[in-house]
Amino acid sequence: MISRRSFRNILRLLLGLGLGCASVHACPQDLIAHGDTGVETLTRNEARLFFTMRLKNWPNGTLVKVFVLPDNNALHNRFSNEVLGLYPYQLRRVWDRQIFSGTGQAPTTVSSEQEMLDRVATTPGAIGYADGPVENPSIRVLEVR
Amino acid sequence: MRTRLCVAALLTCLAPSRAPALELVDGKLQVHGFASQAVLKSTDNNYFGNSPGTSFDFTEIGLNASYQSTPSLLFSGQLLVRRAGEMYDGTPSLDYGLVDFTPISDTERRLGVRLGRIKNPFGLYNETRDVPFTRPSIFLPQVIYYDKIRNALLSYDGIMFYGDRYLEQGNLSLNLGVGQSVIDDNVEWAYLGDDVEGDLSAEGINWGIGSLWFSTPADELKLGLSAILTETEFDADPESFLTPGTINVFDWVASFQYNAADWTISAEYSRAPTRWNDLGPYFPFEDQVLEGYYLQGAYRLRPNLEIMTRYEEGFANRHDRDGRELSDLTGGTTPRSDFFSKIWTLGLRWDLDPNIMFRLEFQRHDGTYALSIRENPDPGDLVREWDVFAASVSVRF
Repeated sequence: MISRRSFRNILRLLLGLGLGCASVHACPQDLIAHGDTGVETLTRNEARLFFTMRLKNWPNGTLVKVFVLPDNNALHNRFSNEVLGLYPYQLRRVWDRQIFSGTGQAPTTVSSEQEMLDRVATTPGAIGYADGPVENPSIRVLEVR
Repeated sequence: MRTRLCVAALLTCLAPSRAPALELVDGKLQVHGFASQAVLKSTDNNYFGNSPGTSFDFTEIGLNASYQSTPSLLFSGQLLVRRAGEMYDGTPSLDYGLVDFTPISDTERRLGVRLGRIKNPFGLYNETRDVPFTRPSIFLPQVIYYDKIRNALLSYDGIMFYGDRYLEQGNLSLNLGVGQSVIDDNVEWAYLGDDVEGDLSAEGINWGIGSLWFSTPADELKLGLSAILTETEFDADPESFLTPGTINVFDWVASFQYNAADWTISAEYSRAPTRWNDLGPYFPFEDQVLEGYYLQGAYRLRPNLEIMTRYEEGFANRHDRDGRELSDLTGGTTPRSDFFSKIWTLGLRWDLDPNIMFRLEFQRHDGTYALSIRENPDPGDLVREWDVFAASVSVRF
């Protein structure tokens, strides 16, 4: 039987979770892509392959162009941790290994969230992320399963 | 010395706080680079220059370009300028230059081939060993990633096949390559102990490398096994006291790494059975099994502030860990402590922003095996117990 104290603890936990989500608005960061990619959903592992630059083409053959914000940007950190499930320092390590051993490239770093939206909307094959709702007809929000 | 101080000061001033990489041709062509300057002070022995008198002789500059012409075709190359005491004088060299073709690449697998000068995927750090941002400390664990014979591990000219398999449980990655090794004077100093009359050379295909890696899907756990098999020819000059012969090395390393949000634990164990053949009666060594291992921990106090510590041990021959037999072979002229190194390292890393990094490091050494013979030619001058302080500033774009 649930005691009064544990009931109170559960209530507090639920309340905490709700507040936590609202206060850091952690929930609605979205994976976005240019409208021509022909993809609507990705698994988390597929999203990781794109952002670690190991998968360079979309299923329709288009070259993937990855856009990210700087390593110390708050949205970059949240997207990396919560959507990709990777610590930002791990992403940096993978990109550095590729660009400094000649076995791959690094994503293009943009300086602001607005630039991210502009570049993804205008670059064929582009993939990136955004905070909150996106209302640009050239950008498709991808569901990550 | 003053000019090099100025270089270090310039590095910090010139680097824009948010230097973007240079991108051309719709972002298909990328240019990246880095520059780093270290200062060292040791209690004894020459380590990256005249370190007892404070050395600035550790400078690294790299510039690379890569062109992704189609999703399956990549061209890349890097020029490296490296000054490291008596070992490297800063002459620019081609670090890698290759074409990478990936005919098969989807969400389950990737298969491809590289052709050209290829960095050896040996252990956790070898591929990008000269890039300060990718190292765990100013100095790599010397008992595995010897700077005294850096070129013997660095790269080779040839072909490499690679395959990745992406599974629910994790990713498997296999690399297999053959070609010809890149040999320089340091390799000669390290394997023959002297700048002898004659040359070490690579004949035909003398290099084979294989590495197998497993990592969990989010890269928390990483396990690897890498091995190199190589044969080097020694062509003795007529006046040399050595006779023509060969040196065979089989170098392997087992790697472990665990990554958490705030900390990373790494450990590696390496062994290199080495055989000197037909070098004549005056060459003292025949068979040695080099051995090295370390345990390393890093803790991030903040995302841009990291402390690290490492303990490593290395031996010129694992069957003679106190160096007694090897020292006897030299008639006692080389002390026993020149055949082992036991090193404690303590380091601090501060990333001022993603493109500027500062490091401080302290090492306590027991033994001089990690030192370059070229930098310390007289074994009588070696001091068994010695310390090093080092600081570095590095920038990138």
